Amino acid sequence: MDNGHIDRLLSRLNTGVATAAERKEIEDLIEAGIVDIADIKTLDVIQTKVAALEMPAPSPALDARFYTMLAKQKQKQRPSRLREFFSWPQLAPRFAMASVALILGLAAGYLLRSPSANTNSRDPQIDALSQQVSELQEMMMLSLLENGSTTERLKAVSLTQQMDEASKKVTSALIHTLNNDANVNVRLAALDALKPYASDSSVREALVRSIKNQESPLVQVSLAELMVALQEKAAVKEFERIVESEKTPEPVKQRIRESIDVLI
Amino acid sequence: MNSLGDNALMLKVKDGDLDKLGLLFERYRKPLFGFFYGMNKDAPLSEDLVQNVFFRILKYRYLFRGEGDFKTWMFHIARNVNHDHFRKMKWKGKDELEDWEEHLGHHENRQTEFQHDEEMQILSLALDRLPEDKREIILLSKFHDKKYREIGEILGCTEGAVKVKVFRALQELKEVYKKLEKHL
Repeated sequence: MDNGHIDRLLSRLNTGVATAAERKEIEDLIEAGIVDIADIKTLDVIQTKVAALEMPAPSPALDARFYTMLAKQKQKQRPSRLREFFSWPQLAPRFAMASVALILGLAAGYLLRSPSANTNSRDPQIDALSQQVSELQEMMMLSLLENGSTTERLKAVSLTQQMDEASKKVTSALIHTLNNDANVNVRLAALDALKPYASDSSVREALVRSIKNQESPLVQVSLAELMVALQEKAAVKEFERIVESEKTPEPVKQRIRESIDVLI
Repeated sequence: MNSLGDNALMLKVKDGDLDKLGLLFERYRKPLFGFFYGMNKDAPLSEDLVQNVFFRILKYRYLFRGEGDFKTWMFHIARNVNHDHFRKMKWKGKDELEDWEEHLGHHENRQTEFQHDEEMQILSLALDRLPEDKREIILLSKFHDKKYREIGEILGCTEGAVKVKVFRALQELKEVYKKLEKHL
């Protein structure tokens, strides 16, 4: 079909003189995608007006009703939390904890069995079992620290205190927690858990470096006390910065000054 | 970009993160209300229908697969909600005089409140005088940004057929508009 014919058809439509047959012909062209509605001037004008036609807005009552309905639906949804309990991200630490408890129980049972049966003073199987327990404890601790709630993170930190000796990975995780955890109690617990490892020079250095990251007075004072106990003179510079800071409350400054005096 | 966001949000709702529906509600309460209001000129009823759409979205969220456009799926539901409501009303024979008076009163208030421009008032009146199917296709085209293929998915017909329906509806709207313009 030539363009001249189409133009003539559209022109007749725009001037309102198109016959029924011509309209049908235009409809066929539109359906086939040869003519676009936007090409028909008079219709394009009215369609633009429709697009600009303002509609009223709903009242705030609609918002209230919607959010009430949403809250009700969320309440109804709660029983399905059971499914969530068994979902993998939540289940993994729980599963690890259950495994640790089971292995600990088995190990305790093995060690406490009658002395006659316990012929060898050190069985390689026990060593392997202890190794597995430590690894599982470590895995669980790291998993809880990364993904857990505040309570779970506190539990994770306290788990390290049950370990005979924490690995480098665990102490690094504790230092990371001390520097970055959003909760003060978790940071304090991490500091407490790191105390037994303060004799390690890398942990000691990390603790000194951590001073400048702390904004909570409680953590600052605890760190100052630990540094005094360790007689860590390298911490003096960091503490002086805290004392000079305007953000530090006066009682905290006083406590830190006392610590500095002891260290010097 | 928005559609991608919509689908991602709806998939989260499907997975149980119901709060994300709040974001979709904030995005679409106004166009949905506009669609229903354009169809029935009854603000309280339109609010009921918007609420109903979101209720159905929640109820049937497991049916959303994220393959198509969320907006298209939502308007499909909106259309069903509108049809179900009017089917129920017809069956109950509720269209009594007092209801109509109530509608008209409200309509007039809304008109003066929102349609100050005379030309737009005539257009709004012309739209009201169209048969329901033609008014619907024009409103779908308005609120679906003239995406005829998606409108075809809502109506269950081809893109070409939608274009023809829009063409016919606009032709009629133009005629009614002209007549009103002469008389008012």
